Amino acid sequence: MTAPVGHDCDVLIIGSGAGGATTAAILAEAGLDVIVVEEGPWVEQGSVVPFSLEQMDRQYRSGGVTVALGLPSIAYTEGRCAGGGTEVNSGLYRRPPAETLERWRTEYGIADFDSDDIEAICDEVEQALSVQAVPGAHTAPSEKLRLGAERLGWKHDEIPRWMAYPEQGNAVDGRRQSMTVTYLPRARRAGARLLVEHRLDRLVMNGDQAVSAELTDASGERPTAVSIAFRDVFVCGGAIQTPAILQRAGFRHRVGRTLAVHPTVKLAARFATEMNVPDDVPVHQVKEFSPDISFGGSASHPGLIALALSDNWRAFGAAITAWPQIAVYYAAITSQGRGWVQAVPGLRDPIVTYRLTKRDRHLLGQGLARLALLMLEADALEVYPSFRDAPSVRTRADLATMTAAFAASSASVMTVHLCSTVPMGERTERCAADSFGTVHGARNVHVNDASLLPDAPGVNPQASVMAVAIRNARRFVDRRSA
Amino acid sequence: MRLPSSISPPVGRFADALLAIDLPDLDPQRRATTIEFIEGRITTLPSFTRFGVVVIAFTLDAMSRIVGLDRVISFVGSKPLPLLAEYPRLIRSLAYAFVWETWPATTSTGAAS
Repeated sequence: MTAPVGHDCDVLIIGSGAGGATTAAILAEAGLDVIVVEEGPWVEQGSVVPFSLEQMDRQYRSGGVTVALGLPSIAYTEGRCAGGGTEVNSGLYRRPPAETLERWRTEYGIADFDSDDIEAICDEVEQALSVQAVPGAHTAPSEKLRLGAERLGWKHDEIPRWMAYPEQGNAVDGRRQSMTVTYLPRARRAGARLLVEHRLDRLVMNGDQAVSAELTDASGERPTAVSIAFRDVFVCGGAIQTPAILQRAGFRHRVGRTLAVHPTVKLAARFATEMNVPDDVPVHQVKEFSPDISFGGSASHPGLIALALSDNWRAFGAAITAWPQIAVYYAAITSQGRGWVQAVPGLRDPIVTYRLTKRDRHLLGQGLARLALLMLEADALEVYPSFRDAPSVRTRADLATMTAAFAASSASVMTVHLCSTVPMGERTERCAADSFGTVHGARNVHVNDASLLPDAPGVNPQASVMAVAIRNARRFVDRRSA
Repeated sequence: MRLPSSISPPVGRFADALLAIDLPDLDPQRRATTIEFIEGRITTLPSFTRFGVVVIAFTLDAMSRIVGLDRVISFVGSKPLPLLAEYPRLIRSLAYAFVWETWPATTSTGAAS
């Protein structure tokens, strides 16, 4: 490694996703000297096919192959690029439910956490991200969700997305308003510096104060050591990396002990006509059993369909040649289980575990059965559940067989919503950070990402993450001004 | 912690045998490309997962020298033991995702359709 390069700034922000990018914009626009460091590369939108293996290589951590150990283990994904998860997720947007905000406020003792304030910030975010419904026709996989729910009399709706659409455009013409086209450019215009392909090695502490960060710049031909001195640091690396960074800096209290996710199980459904949309996801969700269980659609390119069929390839494999007629759907649950994130000396990545409760396992089975029913009502010819040796479902009578054969421990369980590893609030017996994200026991170490959410909100969490991050960043600016 | 740099051969041998059973009609060149992809992905796994894969891969590789790789694969498939069963599942997931994303017109036995 070559000689270290030194920078200094008022505020260092580690991570450039939904939390880091918004924090950077707010602080830079308030006149603070901000540096954002991002471990992954800057990838222009449109330069990779959404949900493809190439995208996983370039924009996901570990090529998208990451897992929380348990019985069953739960596969999860983390964005690792400028803009973080906002560059690779579904782009679906849900405000945090008012009752969820109230529960967080009372159970975790979050001060000045007024629902109206959060709603007002959501208004602002929706404007900035062009949150809107699809202007034209929906995709066929999305229509199947709507059709099945309508026939069953189940509640369903279209989830708005943060997408910009051209005149006369429809569902597949949207351009995602991710952080690389919204808050990161805003931050840069206000003077923030963004250093991509810079991996944090450690935070240097002096007592209860962080004084600098040591990083490796991997953007050139040879890795370069980088040191950044700062007055304050915001850790915004997401619910897995943020607690690991804090633990390595010596923070242990309630850090990484309460990982919360929305576990999901999947199935593939084959219809009579071609309907596959490889590079987009349905916008309809079925909320009849919400918040316990929600149904939606997943990315469904041929590789992902083969993956969905692989749990019983001998029985399901023949269907793969009909992939244009197949789409993948999921049942997501609100889990009462919790997981751990633990940094281990000598290991570059933290160990992640997650334990489903008995109720979670039951809900996953119930969710899969109801999702299969929904697909039959939507005219699916055959349904292929994703658990080991699963039977296919062609009629309602097959549902009982499927339910009897299901065991969560044999299912391909995955999640994309990870949060709550540094919960915020004044109840120190439950919380790792205060009401505005400053880590308990630290003077200038703040967290501002999904880690702060006290539990999984039961909806796509990006709106919650952004609203909380903007609130906390503004409070930081107010305190600095005072 | 440094992991063995020779992780690829045992993973590659296992993947090769698994694909020969699962997708017997996959063109040898395609199979080789798929195995290369799997080996590449295994090296980018998070540290602890990679360590687990290395342990399992080397253990199964050693067993296969005694009883044969086909019998090892048959044993792992028939006894869905926690963690051990995740290994063929991981290899299979990577292989299937790669094969059908790269060559969508492929039958369930691996033949070009």
